[in-house]
Amino acid sequence: MQRTIEARGIPTIGITLQKKVTQQVKPPRALYLRYPFGHPLGEAFQVNQQRTILLDALKGLENITEPGTILEPGYVWRRHRFE
Amino acid sequence: MGKLEDLKNAMLVQLFKRVPWLAERWAGHHRFIRGEGIPWTPLGKPLRECRIAMVTTGGVHLKSQPPFNMEDPDGDATFRAFPTDVDKAELTITHKYYDHSAADRDINVVLPIDRLHQLRKEGLIGGIAPILYSFMGHIDGPHLGTLMEQTGPKVAELLVRDGAEAVFLTPA
Repeated sequence: MQRTIEARGIPTIGITLQKKVTQQVKPPRALYLRYPFGHPLGEAFQVNQQRTILLDALKGLENITEPGTILEPGYVWRRHRFE
Repeated sequence: MGKLEDLKNAMLVQLFKRVPWLAERWAGHHRFIRGEGIPWTPLGKPLRECRIAMVTTGGVHLKSQPPFNMEDPDGDATFRAFPTDVDKAELTITHKYYDHSAADRDINVVLPIDRLHQLRKEGLIGGIAPILYSFMGHIDGPHLGTLMEQTGPKVAELLVRDGAEAVFLTPA
């Protein structure tokens, strides 16, 4: 899906919770989090967490120059404090 | 799908949620479309000037729209479209292959609508595309072809029509 949109001429970035699958599928840009399924933006009502993850991904649209890059911010599930 | 299959599925959903590396192992035995080369479109202007669109495979849709087909073990390659300024109370999730209890309470967990509006107000993005597109991610068998050849390209066309200048995607 992501590759299809990128090939149509729109830059894309996706969150992934499965690194190995992403390495196979090879989307143009991805942000990997070791989070449980169903939680790509983190936990319910955690505004700072959701905002940080979304913004990290969107910044990747500007900053990533190598196709296939997977960003890994390393936010540990339920441990990392989002300011 | 029979009751026993449903039960087995529900157990796997909980197991994969709690033990993510098991899901990676499951994925290792599963068929995915391997990418040949990597398509690439650079961002044409700064993020603060870009109109951002969102696409999810989390099975989100309007309560008034038909739910995704949960009876077909190969999933459902169709998509649902709804406005970005939707009333969140109108949204629901049909997807039995992941635990969406957190997203049921706060949709921003899988589709960060409020956070996107927040970033626009802060001036960090230029705008928001008018329509959100939603698939259910668990697609296999003949539906993979439908996704790759029909509904996927269709959504890409619609995103171009919507004036999307970058797309953020979220999984289940």
